[in-house]
Amino acid sequence: MDMKFLGVLTVGGVALATAASAQQTELDLWTIDDPGEYHYVLAEEYMALHPEVKINVRTVQLRDMVNDLARAVATGDAPDITYIDNPEVALFASRGLLMDLTPYIEASDVVHADDIFPGPLASVSYEGGIYGLPRGANTIALYYNADMFTAAGLDPDQPPATWDELYEAAKTLTRPDDNVYGLAFSAVATEEGTFQFLPWLQMAGGDFDNVNTAGAAEALSLWKQFIDEGIASRDTLIRSQWDSTGTFNAGSAAMVISGPWELPRMMSEVEFDVRATPLPMPAGGDTRASALGEGDNVILASTDAPEASFAFLEYLYSQMDRVWNEFGYLPAADVEVVDPKFPEIYATFEESMQFARNRGPSPEWPQISKAIQGAIQSSLTGQASPEDALARAQSQIDKVVK
Amino acid sequence: MLKFTNTFRDGVGFDTLLVGIALGYLVVFSAFPLAYNLLMSFQDVDLFSLTSFDRPFVGWDNYREILSRPELLPILWNTVKFVGISVIAQLSLGFAIAMFFQLDFPFNTWLRGLFLAGWIMPALVVGAVWSWVLAGDFGVLNHVLSELGLIRANIFWLSDPDVALYSIIFANIWLGVPFNMILLSVGLAGIPEDVYEAAEMDGATRIQRFFTITLPMMRAQLGAVISLGVIFTLQQFDLFAALTQGGPANSSNVFQYWSWQLAFQNYEIGLGSVISVLMIGFVIAVAFVYVRSTRYEQES
Repeated sequence: MDMKFLGVLTVGGVALATAASAQQTELDLWTIDDPGEYHYVLAEEYMALHPEVKINVRTVQLRDMVNDLARAVATGDAPDITYIDNPEVALFASRGLLMDLTPYIEASDVVHADDIFPGPLASVSYEGGIYGLPRGANTIALYYNADMFTAAGLDPDQPPATWDELYEAAKTLTRPDDNVYGLAFSAVATEEGTFQFLPWLQMAGGDFDNVNTAGAAEALSLWKQFIDEGIASRDTLIRSQWDSTGTFNAGSAAMVISGPWELPRMMSEVEFDVRATPLPMPAGGDTRASALGEGDNVILASTDAPEASFAFLEYLYSQMDRVWNEFGYLPAADVEVVDPKFPEIYATFEESMQFARNRGPSPEWPQISKAIQGAIQSSLTGQASPEDALARAQSQIDKVVK
Repeated sequence: MLKFTNTFRDGVGFDTLLVGIALGYLVVFSAFPLAYNLLMSFQDVDLFSLTSFDRPFVGWDNYREILSRPELLPILWNTVKFVGISVIAQLSLGFAIAMFFQLDFPFNTWLRGLFLAGWIMPALVVGAVWSWVLAGDFGVLNHVLSELGLIRANIFWLSDPDVALYSIIFANIWLGVPFNMILLSVGLAGIPEDVYEAAEMDGATRIQRFFTITLPMMRAQLGAVISLGVIFTLQQFDLFAALTQGGPANSSNVFQYWSWQLAFQNYEIGLGSVISVLMIGFVIAVAFVYVRSTRYEQES
């Protein structure tokens, strides 16, 4: 809590003691949460601690958030604080619609930018400013069915660490007669497909603006092999991560690439020994990478209560150590989580989080993402070779990233 | 004052009011969006300039961009196949079922009503049900086919690029048949029974009666059903969203879904507008044919 701000409030409180309602600060907060989840719970707690602040929480569907926010900004009805998804910070920051938090963070006793992991920090940074604070993060890793490993003669204590090992293990675990695939993942033509593929591209030396690389072609060829050889279902092309993981939970896939948001359902459904390991790397590679999901708490530049808004953001940030156990995502900063749920799996994700990399930043992210999805889908369906598909994606991306 | 009330009650005032309401409605909800869409197709529009008119004009750039996209022709061809096959199959099946229920048998009207069940189901539910039926690994359809010994390996109805579009067409035909059937039933019920009786006495066979009586007398209904079928099929969006998202690799993408993807996923709203302008042009052509065919009917 900023002491100066407290002081202002106290002075204001005394001066306006006769008009009790006038001293209340009202903050509008938009979130993708439903009541009982993160923003609702923490706003309640904050209001109990600070009766002088009233927070109006409103739920907006994730898919509508960008559209609704753009409309609200245009008509002057924007909230003070909102949640936005990682890749969209650049879109709003590039338009000057978000408040630069840098001076507030420098003066803050609670938030230290150095504590935030590099991926999440990059996701809220745009051209030198910091435009939000991550509320948490998520990433992906390889879940595997240890019982199937044992049954197939593989050592569940030695999960695949390289792409070659992943291929070999997945091939061994595939049992077409029992309808069991070795591996499940998502190559769907939506943001989720990009989310799954980007780390493979980055581990092989590329990035979102440099997709036409030999390593990326190798990754796509491997993905194609998984599907052509029946190691992964052909429906991988149209399945979301959630649906792909459903097949793993049902025992129809021996491994799945997905994130911590799966755990509540997975742990209540599965009857086998589930373990997790970081995403395998290309042979001889030294760059680790993982996807970065979840989103950020940002303050709109149009707010009339910047101090009060930042004070609330500080409170949200200070509760980072609770997000894993209570809300199901990973801390985005270096905090100690006491007694984490599913401790082994948590350790894997916590490790992967160190290497999680941002999607972008680019104000034109959706177009870049679409180009990457196009490359994935056209090479997996055999309409283009991985090299041609990536070259085409690169030319589309070059038009956007100048 | 009395004069004003009088004109209003039974004079020109009342007529003007009625026309005004209809015209106002058309201007606000039809003409304005159409013109606005046309305007946007010549502008550089993004999310943030959506509500203001002050946007840079880019001439034919959006049209050139769309025409230069390599996915244009495959998606156009998909749209033609989607609309053509859907409308022909919906119409033939709908006509056949309507004629069947025209026969006199117990509960025929009841059963006809039950056929509408598919049509009144929410699109979201329809999409979810079809995605279970058509799923590759554990889908109902694959299960049935393999139990019957018709297939040995699973067919990936939604993720095989050679099959995906036809799977959606199949689902769309199912969705559209009840509507066709009901409209055509109404037409069939309007054909006087004695015409058939007279023809039967003259020795006309069933097939002759169908081609010389039923078809010509159904002309107006058929015109309406075909035009509406084309328009409804071009509106079909939910099945694509629920089943394939236009994939894999655009193999089941059609204009209406592509337009939405460009405008609301990529935020290239100008490009999305170009496609809807092209589609509106096509729908106007269909409507023109429809109006001509019914006008002929009225005059004769």
